[in-house]
Amino acid sequence: MFTHLFKLIWNKKKQNFMLMLEILVSFLVIFAVFTMLVYYYKNYRKPMNFEYDQVWSIGFKMQDRPQSNDSLYVFFEALKNQVKSMPEVEQLSFSGHNIPFSMSTSQNSLDYEGRHVRSIHDYTVSDDHAKVLKLSLVSGRWFSKEDDASRYQPIVISEFLKDKLFGTGEAVGQVLDKESDHPRRIVGVVKDIKDHGDYQAIESAMFRRADTNALRWMEQALIRVKPGTGVAFEGRLYKALASHLTNATIEIEHLTNKRQAKNSMTLVPIIIMMVVAGFLVINVALGLFGVLWYNINRRKAEIGLRRAIGAPAGSISRQLVSEAMVLATLALIVGCFFAVQFPLLNVFDLPASVYIYAIVLAVLFVYLLVIICSLYPGKQAAAIYPAVALHED
Amino acid sequence: MIQLQNIEKVYRTSAVETLALNNVNLNVNKGEFLSIMGPSGCGKSTLLNIMGLLDAPSKGEVRIDNEATTSLSDKQMAHFRNKKLGFIFQSYHLINDLRVLDNVELPLLYRNSNAKERTRLAKAALEKVGLSNRMKHFPNQLSGGQKQRVAIARAIVGEPEIILADEPTGNLDSAMGNEIMDILLELNNIDKTTIVMVTHDEHMARRTHRLVRLFDGSQVS
Repeated sequence: MFTHLFKLIWNKKKQNFMLMLEILVSFLVIFAVFTMLVYYYKNYRKPMNFEYDQVWSIGFKMQDRPQSNDSLYVFFEALKNQVKSMPEVEQLSFSGHNIPFSMSTSQNSLDYEGRHVRSIHDYTVSDDHAKVLKLSLVSGRWFSKEDDASRYQPIVISEFLKDKLFGTGEAVGQVLDKESDHPRRIVGVVKDIKDHGDYQAIESAMFRRADTNALRWMEQALIRVKPGTGVAFEGRLYKALASHLTNATIEIEHLTNKRQAKNSMTLVPIIIMMVVAGFLVINVALGLFGVLWYNINRRKAEIGLRRAIGAPAGSISRQLVSEAMVLATLALIVGCFFAVQFPLLNVFDLPASVYIYAIVLAVLFVYLLVIICSLYPGKQAAAIYPAVALHED
Repeated sequence: MIQLQNIEKVYRTSAVETLALNNVNLNVNKGEFLSIMGPSGCGKSTLLNIMGLLDAPSKGEVRIDNEATTSLSDKQMAHFRNKKLGFIFQSYHLINDLRVLDNVELPLLYRNSNAKERTRLAKAALEKVGLSNRMKHFPNQLSGGQKQRVAIARAIVGEPEIILADEPTGNLDSAMGNEIMDILLELNNIDKTTIVMVTHDEHMARRTHRLVRLFDGSQVS
């Protein structure tokens, strides 16, 4: 029966071409949507590897700062001690603009024995940063006073970056950018963090220890507060900061809120694309349904003949559904040919598994759509009475 | 071979009730070539459809080969048609998107037969009707007479005991019509196939064993 169906479809290839094209285009759109969904879902499943629930960010845009390094250090130490003296505050660290869930990013590159890694998220942070965010160390240590006398700039890198630079080799103690003016030494490796939201992919990251020089431009602090600390403390904290940071614009935000805002920014385009794809799928479904319905009316005599020569009603229904499935299969073979180019050519630098999952899901989706759209016309065809169908022709 | 007892067929719409067949009793013997004649709308095709289990009578019983058919399920009826009956229609009812050979193979698709066997039988049937040189053609590349011969090949490919022909020469000129009639007579004489043929052509009807006339749904001779 399959050969028979194939012959029937092949001999009507001109009429079937548009339908196959419609299925092909919808497959490609659905493949794109599933690629995005699988990509974000895989990212979502990965742990954040830091704790943000009780962490607040303090932005302080200062009009003028102490000029000398010593004065700056004293100023920031005094600010830190003042905030930490408040019983609700457990930890405090200073950071560059790229705090978790912010819109700011800072990127850098690293060299190690001819290996050059670009697009590394570069965080300049003070010594208590790991405690504030509860970062998980994999090996080595976080920054401490012992780094004050170091010849090299101490850095902590993420596992992802460590794998890129050293593979399975040891990272701690290695010196990077040896030829540059600022050679760096890895003192620790932390678990990969997703500080740009739940749907962010794991990327390379490095933490630099903030030296006195960095205090000239630092305008962010992160504090970890005790559980249950509420809005009342926010007011007191603001007053305390305002008394110290005169002529500064102060902004206090909760990382939980920033996370939500960041996630929304990722989700909105996904939702828009899904809505567009949804309309397309509805269009394709209606088109498919219409074509199959039209086919039944056009092929009434054929259906009547098949019934006359021995086809049971179920067989007619199955034939129409199978024809639609064969058409879908032909369109999907072409569609899959295009889709597999994405992992083969490494388009968009996504893991191959994302594309493979997306292809499988899109194929299943198209088959499901075709079955749903052809079941009712198939049932209607099966209900045609042979004498009536043969007489109408 | 075919027994029709008190057959009545009524077509009902919301407004009108039409009596297409009225108390028809007819026996067709095994190996007989019977023709049915009558004016248009007298119920000839309806009677043939009922004999071929393509339509159900409103009243009465149809027995084929001593088997009552009224209680058969859709699947059993389809199987019955496939095994015992062959159909020939005035407008041929060939599938234009299939080649001649594939058209002839069609009834065998609904049997448990393999592709090789189907092709062998279809070729043999086409040989019988003298169309073995047109196997790869599409129906729209054939003349009316050739189309009807393909339809006959399709009807006989499954070696049915009964052939029901609804005006098989109706769309053909007299020469072509005679050719088709010769093939049908040969099938009846050599293969002993029972044939029931509806026709408007008195000349064709006279070549059969028996003629039944219908008028306004009733059997008049």
